Amino acid sequence: MGWTAYIIPVIFLTVLLVSFFKKKTGYNIFIDGSKSAISLMAQVFPFLLTVLVAVELFRASGVSAAVANFLSPALNLVGIPAELTELMLVRPLSGAGALAILDNIFTRYGADTYIGLCASIIYGSSETVFYVSSVYFSQTKIKNLRYAIPVSLAATFLGCVLGCLLMRFFL
Amino acid sequence: MNMIWMLLLISGTAVMLFTNPDGILKAMLDGATGAVGLAMQLVAMYAFWLGFFALLERTGAAGLIAKILRPLIRFLFKDIDEKTEKFISMNMSANLLGLGNASTPMGIGAINAMNDGKKAFATTNMIMLAVISATSLQLIPSTVISMRIAHGSTDPTAFLLPCIVSTVSSTVIGILSVKLLSRALGREPKTRRGREKRAKTGGRPLPLGDK
Repeated sequence: MGWTAYIIPVIFLTVLLVSFFKKKTGYNIFIDGSKSAISLMAQVFPFLLTVLVAVELFRASGVSAAVANFLSPALNLVGIPAELTELMLVRPLSGAGALAILDNIFTRYGADTYIGLCASIIYGSSETVFYVSSVYFSQTKIKNLRYAIPVSLAATFLGCVLGCLLMRFFL
Repeated sequence: MNMIWMLLLISGTAVMLFTNPDGILKAMLDGATGAVGLAMQLVAMYAFWLGFFALLERTGAAGLIAKILRPLIRFLFKDIDEKTEKFISMNMSANLLGLGNASTPMGIGAINAMNDGKKAFATTNMIMLAVISATSLQLIPSTVISMRIAHGSTDPTAFLLPCIVSTVSSTVIGILSVKLLSRALGREPKTRRGREKRAKTGGRPLPLGDK
């Protein structure tokens, strides 16, 4: 990890120094910028809540586990261990939900097994597709995202398959 | 999105009706409570990063980053103005640094800058930005690494190379698909009158719908 820990602090320090030498009032600028955070959240919040209510019910009801069970033979065929189907299913829906599943997988199978490593790849290389797509458009009237979500999901899935395949060569 | 949301709720409720009827409301309220907690965390993040980005903007650093990323952005997005370009470059650099929460306000800003208020359909540029963000640009998944350390992994970064291959290839596949699809589908759909009317009378607009 080492050097990566320095990236953000160094950027921060540089920007502060530049603003000092350019005689900008950093204090006021920062306030100006952060002002809009609450109104932004006020608009994003309904989307957040609506998605999370459904996702939590989907998980708590055991439907996600059942669907995962149903899909796992197909995923096994492309080299993704059956134990990881639920992670793949929840990952695009909820970051926190997927993190809980990841934690569970590490506890049960260990972080250094093939399953644990594949789980790390799946979580690390993908995003909460549905959250990104609904929040980004939350301030517009645009209702139809056309092919944005299918393309994102398919691309993420292919990436994961490729990553898990490659992982085999490292064991 | 509506379909997916309905599907999640209907299947969840139907199953729990048989297995655990008491748990239905609890699960949904747990979700709502989780959303409030998450919102609190996110407000703090948004406020900090928006403040920080204002500093980047006023010191000229944002313009510099936009200039560095310009060739790439010009290749990915057709005909965008300078303001949009700045938002997109900030969004991308925050994503690359693994600051997902910092990139969100910039992504919203970019979409707003590309929007003229009349559209009911996402333009190719908007789809491109959504796909690039949704396929994850993050090169160093710090959350997973710290989680692996917490679980006593002997080599917490062992998965890093396949992971980078995975995330880069997913983003490249996403970009290529958008390029191909936008070409294959030809012109962008015009705002149809019926849809426009619905968008106007529909009250609070939902970003995703019908499909």
